[in-house]
Amino acid sequence: MKKFLLYAGLVLLLVPLQTTLLPHVAIWDIKPDLGLVVAALVGVLAGELDGLLVGLAIGWILNLYSAGDLWLNLVTTGGAGLFAGLLAKQVAEITPTILAVGLLALSLAAGLVAVFSMKHATIADTWWMVQFVVVPQACFDALMGAVLLWVVEQRFAVPRFGMLDRYS
Amino acid sequence: MWMVNVRSPYGARRLALGMFALLLAALLLFPGQSQGLLDYLDGPVGQLVRLPLEAVSSIDQGIASMWHQYVSLQHVADENRRLKQEMDWLRGENNQLREAASATQRLTSLLQFKEQALPLMVAAQVIGRDSSNRFKSVILDKGESDGIQRDMGVITPAGVVGRVVKTTGGTAVVLLLTDPNNAIAGLIQRTRDEGIVEGVPQGRARLKYIPMLSAVKEGDRVVTSGLVGGFPRGLAIGTITAIDREEGALFQTAELVPEVDVNRVEEVLVIQTPHGTSGETAARPGAGTKGEP
Repeated sequence: MKKFLLYAGLVLLLVPLQTTLLPHVAIWDIKPDLGLVVAALVGVLAGELDGLLVGLAIGWILNLYSAGDLWLNLVTTGGAGLFAGLLAKQVAEITPTILAVGLLALSLAAGLVAVFSMKHATIADTWWMVQFVVVPQACFDALMGAVLLWVVEQRFAVPRFGMLDRYS
Repeated sequence: MWMVNVRSPYGARRLALGMFALLLAALLLFPGQSQGLLDYLDGPVGQLVRLPLEAVSSIDQGIASMWHQYVSLQHVADENRRLKQEMDWLRGENNQLREAASATQRLTSLLQFKEQALPLMVAAQVIGRDSSNRFKSVILDKGESDGIQRDMGVITPAGVVGRVVKTTGGTAVVLLLTDPNNAIAGLIQRTRDEGIVEGVPQGRARLKYIPMLSAVKEGDRVVTSGLVGGFPRGLAIGTITAIDREEGALFQTAELVPEVDVNRVEEVLVIQTPHGTSGETAARPGAGTKGEP
């Protein structure tokens, strides 16, 4: 129950953060996708199932405040939580740098899927969006994820999912 | 240090992969049904999320207004002088337009044309921006419970802002004029040629499908044609800045600078009935306005 409330609070807090406050820190009109970053962090720290479920919830609720398609938000954010959880299992220690590299790849993949699924974009528009939206956003997401993980590690003692089972 | 236990049972991998596969299959095989199921839940969840969203938005607006009113006052004297000059010039133009309007009114009654009704509108405030970077949209503090529905046009007194694409009980998402997924029927005011106004990713717009024989030129103003969509005729969309005439093409394309700076818009009007009904006098009390756009 405590975990459910923690996740519910996190998801509810994300909406005003992403839609109202983050536009103020946007650089060249690009803001980080906090939903993707949080889903990946939950996947890394709590396992792939939690990552998937929290990612799906974030994708669905943020989609209420976006002009994008629901399936795309569900698949990209839920998928980020799931794959972050699965990939984290293959790494003995997750440092902010490793998380940043993983998030860069996840965000690039999610962004490319979204851009190539746009219905009315020309080839020039698509290429422009890859260069000036997808790539900068992936860098921004990676940086944000690394900072958040560093803060979490400094402030909270979070036992990483699977690690105790592996070494006990 | 706080201890937070977010661990889950280890055998979750198969379950997670299975659920993800099932979700993908449901979304791909039954897109309508799965979307409909989630749409059903959108209303109550939207109302719940609206509370923190409006709270944060009001704090944000409070800080922004304090900044603009007390801190960021540089160049205000210059701007004030420039605006006063512009106001004098506009007063003169307004007088001329009043004369022209009264002449048009006389001629209209003389020719027994049907009087054009005024659109019914609801005022709303922008409380957020699109949660992703891939779409250019804004979030309004009014939704289905205020009578806002999909495809309604959204304007400011200066011109067109966009179109409502999504609603929950208390909020609405407006796809801006500058988004490539938006299409609004436009009309070149001087030549009366029609086309479709689309956004471009760089944050401007373009008018497509202008006939090759059209004498369109830079500086021409584009307004809504009123034929399709949620806009009445004659609302300002933008000004043409460049024209693309390719050899062998069937149509010309023109680049537009939108009349409204959609990235800075804070209050808007949502057009509920673009053509209104003559004789109707007032909008919903407290919520809307009815008048000339």
